[in-house]
Amino acid sequence: MKMTKIYEGAHQWVMFGRDENKPDNIIDSNQYIVRTANKCLLLEPGGTELFAPMMAAVLHHAPVDQITDLFASHQDPDVISSLGLWDQALSNAKLHAPALWEGYIRNFGCESIEYVPIPDNGETIKIESVELQIIPAHYLHSPCNFHVYDPQAKILMCGSVGSAFEPANAPVFVERFDVHVEKMRAYHQRMMPSNQAKRAWIDRVRNLDIDILAPQHGRMFKGDDVKRFLDWFDSLQVGTGV
Amino acid sequence: MNSQTKSQFIAVASITSELSAVMVVAKEISLAAANAKAIAFRAGDKAKGFQPITDFINELAKETIELVTNINVYALLLYRLTVNEYRRTAAYNRFEQVAKLANGAHYANSMQEPITHAKTMMQDCQRQFKRDVTQLLGQLEAVMHHARAARVIAANSRIEASQAGEYLQSLQAVAESVDKAAHTIHDNVQRCRIALSIYRNS
Repeated sequence: MKMTKIYEGAHQWVMFGRDENKPDNIIDSNQYIVRTANKCLLLEPGGTELFAPMMAAVLHHAPVDQITDLFASHQDPDVISSLGLWDQALSNAKLHAPALWEGYIRNFGCESIEYVPIPDNGETIKIESVELQIIPAHYLHSPCNFHVYDPQAKILMCGSVGSAFEPANAPVFVERFDVHVEKMRAYHQRMMPSNQAKRAWIDRVRNLDIDILAPQHGRMFKGDDVKRFLDWFDSLQVGTGV
Repeated sequence: MNSQTKSQFIAVASITSELSAVMVVAKEISLAAANAKAIAFRAGDKAKGFQPITDFINELAKETIELVTNINVYALLLYRLTVNEYRRTAAYNRFEQVAKLANGAHYANSMQEPITHAKTMMQDCQRQFKRDVTQLLGQLEAVMHHARAARVIAANSRIEASQAGEYLQSLQAVAESVDKAAHTIHDNVQRCRIALSIYRNS
C-alpha cells in the first residue's frame, strides 16, 4: 500500500492507495487519514479485501486506540464494506456517514462503533482542533453523498467525483490533465446521473479555496488542475453513458 | 469460509429442514388421533380399549409439536451464534494478517489488544456453540423418546384393533399411520443428532 503525505501542518493528511497486492478483480481505491495530535479520522475506509493492508498502513501513523473517527461518503462496498472489521478492532470510534444510508451501511456490521448520521444539508465535524466541513454532493454519484473539505489544509476529499481507474504503479497526482481527461470521461458520464446535481456541486465547490482535489479512485488534482477539472466537469454532459 | 465453518452452517441449516418435516408428521399424528377417536366412538364397546389410546396419541403429538417449536427457536439462536462465530473468526484472521503486514510500523504493537480481544471473542463463541449444541442434543433426545413411545402405542393399538370386529381395518390403519409417523420422526431426528454430534462438548 502506497502512502503519500499530502498536507503537513498542525495536522496531517495522508493518502493511501495503489495496493500492489490487492486481488485483480477488486477495484483500486484511495483512502485518506486526517491525523491530529491524539486522534485519527479515516476517510473512505475501503472494502473488506482492503482492510488488512489499510490497517497495517495506518499503523505507521497512528495507534489503534487513536483511530477515533471514520467517514463514509456513501454506502458502496468499496467505500465502507470493511466496517464490520473496523467495528471489531476499534473500541471507541464514531462513523460519520449519510443519515439516509444508516440502515444500509449497518448491514456491514456496526455494533461497537457509534453511527453518527450526517443530515442532508451537511454539517461540520471536529477532530480535536481541526474543523472539517461536510459538503453535500448528492447524486454524485450516490443519491445521498457527501465530500469533506478542510479549509486549513485546503483539501477537498471529493469521493467519486474526479475518479479514474489506473494501474497500481500510476502516479498519485495528475501530471497531464489533457491525457487524464480520457481516463475519467466514461466513468463520469455513466456514474453521475444528474446535470442539475453536478451544477449545484460545482457552484458550491467553486466558492471553496482548494489546493488539492482528492478523489476516491485514481489520481489527485493539485494547483491549476483543480480549476481545470471543475471547468471540464462543468462542460461534461453526464447521465449519458449508456 | 473454511470447511469447518461451512459444515457448521450446513449442520445448523439441516436441523431446521429436518425439524420442519418432523412438524408435518407430528401434525399428521394429531389428525390420525382425531380420526381414531371418531372411529372408536362409533365402534363403542368393541373399541373400548382403543379409546384411551387415542387420547394418548393426541397428547403425544401435541407434546412433540411443542418440543419441535422450542427446538426451532433454539436452532435459530444456534444459527445466529454460527454467524457471529464466523464474523469473529474472520476478524481474528484479518487482524493476524494486519500484524504480519504491519511489521516494522511505528504503532504495530497497538494491534496486540484487538488481536487478543478478537481471539477471546472467537473462543467464547466456539465454547458457547458447543454448550448450545449439547443442550439441543438433549432436546432432540426428548423428541426421540416421544417417537419411541409412539411406536409402543402403535403396537398396543394393533392389539386393541384386532378386537374391534368390523372396525379392525380402520383402527389398524390408524395404528399403521402412527407407527409410520413415529419411524419418520425417529429417522429425521436421528439425522439431526448425527449432524450435530461432532460439535458437542466432550
